[in-house]
Amino acid sequence: MNLNEPSTRQRLAEFVARAAGARSVAIVALERMSGGAVQENWALDVEVDGEARGWVLRTDAQATVRESVTRAQEFAVLKAVHAADVLAPEPLYLCEDPAVSGRTFFIMQRLPGVTAGHKITRDTALVPDPRRLAREVAANLARLHRIEPPHAGLGFLKTMLARDCIAHYRRYLDTLSHPYPVLEWGLRWCELNVPQREETTFIHRDYRTGNYLVHEGHLAGILDWEFSAFGNPLEDVAWICVRYWRFARPDLVVGGIAGVDDFVPEYERVSGRSVAPHDLNYWKVMGNLRWAIVALQQLERHLSGPEPLLEQALTGHVVGEIEQEILALTETETP
Amino acid sequence: MNDRPDARNLLQTARNVFIAEILPALPASSRYTALMIANAMAIAQREIAAGDAPLAAECERLGTLLSEPAAAPAGEALRGVLAGYNRRLAGEIRAGRFDGKERAALLEHLRRTTGEKLAVSNPKMLK
Repeated sequence: MNLNEPSTRQRLAEFVARAAGARSVAIVALERMSGGAVQENWALDVEVDGEARGWVLRTDAQATVRESVTRAQEFAVLKAVHAADVLAPEPLYLCEDPAVSGRTFFIMQRLPGVTAGHKITRDTALVPDPRRLAREVAANLARLHRIEPPHAGLGFLKTMLARDCIAHYRRYLDTLSHPYPVLEWGLRWCELNVPQREETTFIHRDYRTGNYLVHEGHLAGILDWEFSAFGNPLEDVAWICVRYWRFARPDLVVGGIAGVDDFVPEYERVSGRSVAPHDLNYWKVMGNLRWAIVALQQLERHLSGPEPLLEQALTGHVVGEIEQEILALTETETP
Repeated sequence: MNDRPDARNLLQTARNVFIAEILPALPASSRYTALMIANAMAIAQREIAAGDAPLAAECERLGTLLSEPAAAPAGEALRGVLAGYNRRLAGEIRAGRFDGKERAALLEHLRRTTGEKLAVSNPKMLK
């Protein structure tokens, strides 16, 4: 989609003026940001009544993924998390009128900082104190888990507790012609070890290095809320500990920035919840299963899509690594 | 018989030239794609080098695990039998057949099969 087409730009400026209650709005710059096969992010610089603002405009790309929420729902999620003092971009204006750009979009504050995992895990100038960053990431996660169902603004979110995850991932495997016995084993193990009781809170479901912004060594905000749901908060705690988000530092369990001891105690302190090693291990198995399913979905885009895709093809060859991890995590505990 | 060199040698030679001569000449923006190409070629090379031996070994283990031991067939028949066995194994794992005393044998098989896969996909990950 080209938002820079002059008439689209004009309608966009008019929309912002109406939404902001401004007399004059001038679009200074509008540029597609990198990344985002599913959503498009555009850096939007505007002058609202002469005052400069830096925003992000977020809209659907051509491809839509079943898993994710709509842009209007994502806007509601950002409103809820912002109100709960979670570090995230402040949502500003939602536009559901297709006459403006052809698709639903919203505008949010543009936060400063870096998301690239290979930089955050390697560059000591960027992150002088990674353990402090890990504690900030933990405290922020604890704050977002304070949002609980039922929540007036978030009624559209699905609930994904352990049994829901198992059923969901099995349904996906059943759509494939190729069998994955290790993933079946992991799912069976999760079924046999399913928690007797589970808490249900709001969860992000992609809270990890690569999806948060670091600015001047501190956590600036969490991005990519499109997979959020209600579910077991331990799923988020374990997800950031899954191998694949460690980038340059595979030795640092928590997203390549710190060990578990610099993360879990701070999460426990702020959330008032205790995280038993046994439970963390359970959700690490589930996290690896989920990541394997995502990798297989990527592979299917290569195998069944309109054109061959090299990156997605290679993702199919990551499954063995994930399976090795699942076997290592499930062999020590007997159901 | 085909003329020499064989597919494995051709892939290896092409990949070596690609890494030595083409990769350094590419702009930074193409580097990631170029590394993916080199990786894809390396995986294909290792798959050809491994041949059918790991698949035949997996097939024989599966026969034993599923209580119908037999010699692994050759060629395309091997792939067909292997796919059928793995579908059955997946179903029986889900149904709980390996929850109890057969669990250790299952895990041993899955570990070996995963190791054989990683030897092709990413040998650096082999523990």
